[in-house]
Amino acid sequence: MSRPAGPRAAQPRPDLRPAQSPTQRTDAAPARGVYLDYAAATPVAPEVLEAMLPYLTERFYNPSAPYALARGAREDLEAARTTLAHLVGGRPDNVTLTAGATEANNLAVSVASPGAHVVTDAIEHESVLACVEARPHAIVGVGPDGRVDPAAVARAITPETELVTIGLANGEIGTVQPLREVARVVAAERVRRLEAGEGRPIWLHTDASQAAGHLSVNVSTLGVDLMTLSAAKVYGPKQVGLLWAADGVELRPLVLGGGQEGGVRSGTEDVAGAVGFARALELAQARRATESRRLQGLSQRARTNLAAEFPWVRFSGPTKPKRRLPNIVHVSFPGIEARRLVIALERMGVSVGTGSACAASRMRVSHVLDAIGLPRWASEGSLRLSLGVPTTEEDVDLACACIARAAHAEYARIGADECELAAGGAERLFGAGRTRPQEAAPAGRPQEG
Amino acid sequence: MGTSVFLGMSGGVDSALSAALLVERGYDVHAVYMRNWSRDLPGFKCTWADDLADAERVAVTLGVDLEVWDCEREYKETVVDYLVDSYARGLTPNPDVMCNQTVKFGTFAERAFAEGADLVATGHYARTLPPAAPGAPAGLLRAADEHKDQTYFLWRVDGRTLARTLFPVGDVPSKAEVRRMCAERGLGIESKPDSDGICFIGEVGIRPFLLDVLSRQAGDVVEWETGRVLGRHEGAFLFTVGQRKGLDLGGGPARYVVATDVEQNVVYVTADKACPGLWTSELTLSDVRFVAGRPPEDGTYQVRVRHTGALREARVEKVGPVAGEPLRLRVRFPEPVRTVAPGQSCVIYDGLACLGGGMVEKDPRTLPEFARA
Repeated sequence: MSRPAGPRAAQPRPDLRPAQSPTQRTDAAPARGVYLDYAAATPVAPEVLEAMLPYLTERFYNPSAPYALARGAREDLEAARTTLAHLVGGRPDNVTLTAGATEANNLAVSVASPGAHVVTDAIEHESVLACVEARPHAIVGVGPDGRVDPAAVARAITPETELVTIGLANGEIGTVQPLREVARVVAAERVRRLEAGEGRPIWLHTDASQAAGHLSVNVSTLGVDLMTLSAAKVYGPKQVGLLWAADGVELRPLVLGGGQEGGVRSGTEDVAGAVGFARALELAQARRATESRRLQGLSQRARTNLAAEFPWVRFSGPTKPKRRLPNIVHVSFPGIEARRLVIALERMGVSVGTGSACAASRMRVSHVLDAIGLPRWASEGSLRLSLGVPTTEEDVDLACACIARAAHAEYARIGADECELAAGGAERLFGAGRTRPQEAAPAGRPQEG
Repeated sequence: MGTSVFLGMSGGVDSALSAALLVERGYDVHAVYMRNWSRDLPGFKCTWADDLADAERVAVTLGVDLEVWDCEREYKETVVDYLVDSYARGLTPNPDVMCNQTVKFGTFAERAFAEGADLVATGHYARTLPPAAPGAPAGLLRAADEHKDQTYFLWRVDGRTLARTLFPVGDVPSKAEVRRMCAERGLGIESKPDSDGICFIGEVGIRPFLLDVLSRQAGDVVEWETGRVLGRHEGAFLFTVGQRKGLDLGGGPARYVVATDVEQNVVYVTADKACPGLWTSELTLSDVRFVAGRPPEDGTYQVRVRHTGALREARVEKVGPVAGEPLRLRVRFPEPVRTVAPGQSCVIYDGLACLGGGMVEKDPRTLPEFARA
């Protein structure tokens, strides 16, 4: 796998064949594991940990307490909020700190008054979809690359629409949405309402959690009224997030109590989390340009490696690098069960995701892959590799070699003819009518996260 | 292609080793995870998804395919409903016995054979005796490991199905050896704890489950000897003969349940371990079934009234069938044994061979004299 691409017809590859005795352990894990699931979780960066530690020990005070020591904590919290606000191009009083992106998304959707209409797209995170589906709503479909058509958003907006929520970038297939064009659609509706004398507001929200490490998250450039960010995706702590909301947007509190965060989000402030988040976002935005270029190169390397070994695999998401996150490689092996690949890879020390984590653990095909129209026989064999700051070229090559070994073994096990696959026979072999009947999932909410 | 074996795989240690042994013996193995129950009960999160993940790990390691078969409807109808109905009638059933008969060696085996299996296999601790002639029923033998032997739960399985069944761990001398063999093969499952109790109820126990499906009904706890009311209970169906815990009589000597009367909703207890109601020398079995398809000759056999319980010599005689009444069995012990809760299985052995058995009937003599009709 790691050899340079070149003519490779009928080359023997004895090392990639399945082990001769399946019960003999031949796939001992390598000395160093390879983790390629940074879209699911990132480690806390050393600088971030260092910034946070004092607030867990000697500066533990409740920011609302009346003495000078507590005032120090309050000032540090507000300084972190200011840093965060400036990094998104906003003012600190427009930033609400939350326990993660899910809460921020819940808070964002609740700006629509009860009974008001909400518009979103079919590949949003479950925390957005679950909130939207509880109200009158329209879900805009996406193209095969996952892109939302702004004209479709325009058509979905009704006079009762109070919120449009479109994620900046999708964490599963990496699609970056044309958010500025959506913002123009929302602005046009605002003008129409003004001229028609209709008083109902309309806001644009974006969940930028997956994008913050790779794209600009400047609210003015994006043209949004609300934006969700997560520390957990940018090498900060988990359960720390924020919702930026423009002046004039009235947030409805979901967590009631002592009235912290301007009454919007009660509960003693997580000073350590806020300080860590600020430091993490600062680092992420500072290295964004160079890191994106580097990850783009590594992702491309992974794609080239895998496509050379398996010419029939499908990569999902936009083909233009500018339209996708630089760190995500979503690849489908037709006819193979991704869960089996993940187990085989785990035994070789390689950790990758299948589709979206929640969907995978419940044995459902991800709603994102259904929305882009990927047939089940391909989507069930989907791996998501997401690269991160620690990822090296060697990691990518090792992971690809292990994926190749696991996938070749699976194709051999199910008796699929790789020559026929290479000749374009994937659909003939695995398409409609050829797949084994799928077991129905147990009763529960459809499309659950 | 070799002989095709469909193996029921639970995610546990025994079926994992079974899979490995079958692969090593050259069978064409198809693993199947039977999903029998996926509902969470109050206080108990159903572990099916974790168990399936364990089964998948083993299947991938061995390079065999694994399918999930949805058996929830059959399990509900033949195991859960049977369990609830039995308790409601004041019996103490063995749901695993029904699960083996109707799900594992019923639905699963039938579907496996329909899909082209030559043989089926499970991770039970049991052995089979090959049939005397093709098409004849096989015999069922106790496992090499007497402590793990599971024939007590397999007595209702048909001998003709057993003729096409493999029990790969039945010859392994001990559970420790099973774990060692798993470790040796790198299956990564050797330290998974044994599962106890009824699979879908888990550690919560039967009481919360029954209270979830049957309604509470206050009744008296009555002293067997005197008829004196000692306390109250929440439903006679919650109590089992021999039970000591959960009586909540506010101190005094340890008391045992002698009998329950679900019609009158009364629980009879005694503090006297020698109480005549606690001992019996005769059992009547109904709903009888035999591995060979026909009852054994009247004679002296060994019987067992609980899983891995003592094997006791007893005289077994046929009663009937007469005038529309199906065949029953009478089991006489040479000396009294502890009363067996009605609804429990009494399984008959001849040496190593498990011949079949029946369900223990309610014995009116366990009721106090003043309460007998």
